[in-house]
Amino acid sequence: MRDIQKVVVLGANGTMGAGSAEVFAAGGCEVTLLARSADKAQAGLESAQGMAKSATIGDLMKVGSYEADLESAVAGADLIFEALAEDLDIKKEFFGRVTKARQPDSIVATVSSGLSITEMAAAGDDSFAKHFLGIHLFNPPNVIVGTEVIPHNGTDPSLVAPIVEMLESRFGRVVTVCRDLPAFAGNRVGFKVLNEVAQLAEEHGIAKMDYLIGPYTGRAMQPLATVDLVGLDVHKAIVDNVHANTKDEAHAAFALPGYVEKLVANGHLGNKTGAKGGFYRRVKESGKNVRYTLDPATGDYKAPGDTKVEPVEFIEAMGKLHRVGRYQEAMQLFVDAKGPEADIARKVIFGYVSYALNRVGQGEVVEQARDVDRIMGFGFNWAPPTVLADAIGIKTTIAQIEKCGLEVPEVLAKAPADQPLFNEPHVNRGRFFAS
Amino acid sequence: MAEPVYVLGGYQTDFARNWTKENKHIMAMIREAVEGGLSETGIDPESIEVGHVGNFAAELYSMQGHLGAFLVDANPAFSGLPTARHEAACASGSIALLAASAEIEAGRYDTAMVVGVEQMKTVDPKTGGDYLGTAAWYEREAEGVDFPFPKLFGRLGDEYDKRYGLKDEHLAQISAVNYSNAKRNPLAQTRSWYMTEEHANSTDKFNSVIGGRIKVSDCSQVTDGAVALFLASRKGAEKYASQRGIDVDSLPRILGWGHRTAPIEFTTKVAESADNEYVLPHTRRAIVDAFERAGLSGVDDVDAIETHDCFTTSEYMAIDHFGLTKPGESWKAVEEGVIEIGGKTPINPSGGLIGAGHPVGATGCRQLLDAHKQVQGNAGDYQVDNAKTIATLNIGGSGTTSCCFIVGH
Repeated sequence: MRDIQKVVVLGANGTMGAGSAEVFAAGGCEVTLLARSADKAQAGLESAQGMAKSATIGDLMKVGSYEADLESAVAGADLIFEALAEDLDIKKEFFGRVTKARQPDSIVATVSSGLSITEMAAAGDDSFAKHFLGIHLFNPPNVIVGTEVIPHNGTDPSLVAPIVEMLESRFGRVVTVCRDLPAFAGNRVGFKVLNEVAQLAEEHGIAKMDYLIGPYTGRAMQPLATVDLVGLDVHKAIVDNVHANTKDEAHAAFALPGYVEKLVANGHLGNKTGAKGGFYRRVKESGKNVRYTLDPATGDYKAPGDTKVEPVEFIEAMGKLHRVGRYQEAMQLFVDAKGPEADIARKVIFGYVSYALNRVGQGEVVEQARDVDRIMGFGFNWAPPTVLADAIGIKTTIAQIEKCGLEVPEVLAKAPADQPLFNEPHVNRGRFFAS
Repeated sequence: MAEPVYVLGGYQTDFARNWTKENKHIMAMIREAVEGGLSETGIDPESIEVGHVGNFAAELYSMQGHLGAFLVDANPAFSGLPTARHEAACASGSIALLAASAEIEAGRYDTAMVVGVEQMKTVDPKTGGDYLGTAAWYEREAEGVDFPFPKLFGRLGDEYDKRYGLKDEHLAQISAVNYSNAKRNPLAQTRSWYMTEEHANSTDKFNSVIGGRIKVSDCSQVTDGAVALFLASRKGAEKYASQRGIDVDSLPRILGWGHRTAPIEFTTKVAESADNEYVLPHTRRAIVDAFERAGLSGVDDVDAIETHDCFTTSEYMAIDHFGLTKPGESWKAVEEGVIEIGGKTPINPSGGLIGAGHPVGATGCRQLLDAHKQVQGNAGDYQVDNAKTIATLNIGGSGTTSCCFIVGH
């Protein structure tokens, strides 16, 4: 593979573009940031400096506009990194220009999280297609190191291993190689859980579901608050895509609930539409931030006093155990807890473990459990499925999955009895359990 | 003849974690370190006879004292275990190690556990800076001062400048080397941060002055971290070795130690050393004591150093105090690449306090664990080739309490 020294970032004014530029420059590459205008690219450069907390990282960067500089920059580049809007037509138009200008052995990568890599690859000539693949960084890329690498069928197979190696050793990424299937690994598994929680919230309420599937289940943030952060429009795009283009055991979990459809239609997209909100709405009241919560039935936002969630005994007890590092004992409580709340929480969490590990193997999204573990752990900051299975015990996990009426993944069925499934020697499992 | 003290191994938590964001109590840190250590070494918890904790200021950061007692909570087998907590500011971890090794040397116990721990992200940086001020003479040197310690270690640089001359670009290079080493260390706090020599040389809103000549890039980090270590007598080490079918002499030992305390106030220290070629002669003495006890002729017998670099000036001081250069000529070792991985005597292959992080009470233990990893060839990407003998230097206060260990076979 060509040694990667010079990188061009297309769409460098966006968050992903600027963040990607920061990642490549931090690894020592000279990066040319391109946008509609050089001024916009300059804004991307400044944003990259802010991410690196360094002005001198800018010494490795140049800026330019598509109109004036694309062809010359692409001609001199070892890696062309596309971070344009998630619109296939726009991307194709740019790839048409890239294919004409690029060196025959330069790498072309897209940061796309949702579009088909195969379709994008077809926008250029044979050489373009051979050197084209997805490098899906997560937002913000300077903080979140989980990264998906997605070759398509026509990608030169000899490129994949050196690209993965380079991303890990030089750019500090934790890489998962995925097949070119809708939403790849992280978003396929992650948004299945998030959408399921959104569906359940229609009956049980937003605040209640965020409490039931809260940090104590192995995540940094409550699930629907996470969707508010990501944007409900992005959520819709991902689940609609998976729902339309896959058929798996959890197909129904990808159906966007009607009330969320309405929220998106009315421009309630989450944190980015501050005043309108999403699942939650932050309101300033006498100088303080107050979080109002959506009532899915009416579309109204209710004051904290009206959506107070009654504490559930096992969740409170688990939080106390996590707080002092007794994670396994906490997960034992999770298995043993009685009552409807425990049933809901177990269905979602064992659903996550089962669905994630079922994406492993022949014809599936990833080859090994380690791949899905890595992207859930380092892309989503969720407890990787095998960390949960290890903490609960493999046999118990299998029994619980069966009890929930879910498919038992082969990874678990064939797991050795005497050693943990999660095998990343330097990763602290405890970091995934919050209280 | 005192009993030899063997280092069986241990465990370090990921120093990039923010345990407050995880909503964790300091107990979780102690438990993860102990569980990790037991699992890493395969030591039977029943075989541990005594426990020591190194911690600086949990009373301030977490409103919690009596940390020795928390070891007992870390494993059911520890109920009744004799334990204690030790404090000497940033040298607390080394003091806990000295206490444990003294007991082994005296023949009281055969296997000891030492945990260094500090949870610092419970408070905002300014409050944390004020707490750290209690490692100096608070009323005279820290009260009402924003970030007193960078200012004190800035004065250490000024003292060098006055006596020998000091260029800030040498400090910038020390910072860049530590950050670069940290990129190789999967448990280092700054492993994914951006840093270059150019950045360390720059002064702007991204690399602002914290106090005197000390900029952000000259500082070690505010870190949550815990480290567990297991020490043993010859008898304890033989038992450990025979259970694993290995030769007891393949286990590293603490070959020598030094421990000196200077007057706490910085002004008194430099006044006392005015006519000495070493700016911190008691620190120099602690190093020489350790060399002598280990039977080493000097720094040439050492393959790498894990030193206290709470600021770049403290590492600059360590270079000549270890004897890598003549007093006042530390810059030569910096310029010649002596201190880099691959250099003659690499300093802080782990990234040190600047790169790996500085959970105050855990740092001395982290240094000894890294020394153990190096001499056992287990340091992964930050392994120093043929590392047989490693020195550590851990300092509390403004060069006040100095502890040095030599680890080897």
